[in-house]
Amino acid sequence: MTTLPWLTIPEPAVTPDPDVLLGLAGFGERAVAGFGERAVAGPAIAVAPAPTDPHIGGVGDPGTLMLAGPPAGVGGGGLDGHLATWGALPGVDGSGVRALLRSSALDGRGGGGFPLIRKVETARFAGGVPVLIVNASESEPASHKDRTLCAERPHLVLDGAALVATALGVDEVVVHLHRSPESAASTLESAIAERRRRGVPDPRWRLSAGPDRYVAGESSAVASYVDGGQARPLFTTFPLAVIGPSGRPTVVSNAETVAQLAVLARTGPGAWAARGEPSSPGPRLVTLTGAVNRRGRVVEVSGQATIGDILVADGQANPPAAVLVGGYAGTWILGTEAWQTPFTREALAAVDAGPGCGLIGLLPHSACALVETARLVRYLAGESAGQCGTCVAGLPRLADACEALASGDLRKRGVRRMVTIGDIVLGSGACGHPDAIVKLIRSMLSVFEDDVVGHMAGHPCRGSDHPPVFTVPEVELAIGRDGLREWA
Amino acid sequence: MSVDIRIDPILCRGHAICALFFADGVDLDQWGFGKVVLAVAETPKDVRRAFRAATACPNRALVVQERAAATTEPVT
Repeated sequence: MTTLPWLTIPEPAVTPDPDVLLGLAGFGERAVAGFGERAVAGPAIAVAPAPTDPHIGGVGDPGTLMLAGPPAGVGGGGLDGHLATWGALPGVDGSGVRALLRSSALDGRGGGGFPLIRKVETARFAGGVPVLIVNASESEPASHKDRTLCAERPHLVLDGAALVATALGVDEVVVHLHRSPESAASTLESAIAERRRRGVPDPRWRLSAGPDRYVAGESSAVASYVDGGQARPLFTTFPLAVIGPSGRPTVVSNAETVAQLAVLARTGPGAWAARGEPSSPGPRLVTLTGAVNRRGRVVEVSGQATIGDILVADGQANPPAAVLVGGYAGTWILGTEAWQTPFTREALAAVDAGPGCGLIGLLPHSACALVETARLVRYLAGESAGQCGTCVAGLPRLADACEALASGDLRKRGVRRMVTIGDIVLGSGACGHPDAIVKLIRSMLSVFEDDVVGHMAGHPCRGSDHPPVFTVPEVELAIGRDGLREWA
Repeated sequence: MSVDIRIDPILCRGHAICALFFADGVDLDQWGFGKVVLAVAETPKDVRRAFRAATACPNRALVVQERAAATTEPVT
């Protein structure tokens, strides 16, 4: 046992209110920005030092925290490189890890932003041996942060997963990925083999590779798949951390979240949190997409960096037409407004957005947001699991309406109809997928009001023959025709 | 006793029997799928109707649960 000062923070003497703890207080609340996880305000941060100066850097940038050190290609990804940069993982017991989680207020980085400590405590109090799943599947087609992390810093992810296993008192960790050629499964496999060879005290690792579909990465879909079911979202009456599909409490945490834990266990929660600000502590990984100079590049953002700062680091000189924040099912923000907006949970919430999975997509002045949204909505509608009635009935209609609007075939009544369908669909599904699509459409209608009016009046669109800015994968099967094998 | 009422949207196939048995608590959307309008039933009459509707659903999609009090004692 080490005597690092931040590991001696005592557990609170007062037992937390079980109602709040088990997530029953927020019963039915749902995060719309991301998937299924219920967003609730995190615990008050114990150490809240002044944020550091904004810094944006990619893999190997010495000014970054997680991505500093040599890239994987030149020895950064191996265990030796990892130990040279980070040193051995401090020996911490379960209550020590929980103290770290509590004092850092580490928020989930998969999209929901749910504090990891609440999942861990809920699972511990729920009874039964918890199941721990690290979700590295990264379903968002344009996001590359988990992939990059697993490829460049696999030992940080595994260290963090081992820490969460200690906090939960479990001896097995499932790392979930997608079956896709770009998945980092082979890197993780060799990293695990290397750790085993070198005698790193680890839990048992289990790699799981699920279907390469968008909603298959949602937390309950992942839990279902790991339990031997289909990789489709579940209808849950209790949070997964209370009872998962296996009947055991199930903690599903994003790969970046656990990697952040591995970092903050070494730097201390104070120094780590200072790289963010109280509403979103610590550094965050951001993927750039759309009309940026280096599409798919992952950067680490710390301090109160604005979206403008992040885009300047990509070589942009002027605000773009608009920015898509949080994922393909994210929120539009006008370029001039986004340029001034810090990439923090609080600042983004003020413009009805959220960091989501950390995606920033740039829309150039020459492209049309309505055309882009129509393509995204069509793709996302096709990626539905086809389970809930309103998703099957509503999403294709929404996609049709968006396409009609983009091509100038929709009038006032049609737009009103689209809004009505959105109202019906919102909140009616088992997971957050349809909700996120409705939010995307709503943000399009409010942010690009002038363009919408122009399209309704049949004015020629400036971006109708612009090549796709936000590219989407081909969806092969339509809703309702999915064979079961596709989800197995 | 008060109960939480929810519809499992995955199981719901739009038979609309819940709306027939419990018109005050469940509405139908434009495609005929149930939508809960009374998420918490308080009065004995509403509770009785909620349970009756849940039993009548051919897909068991209407979930009526006793109002969630903490079921587990926290371990200290």
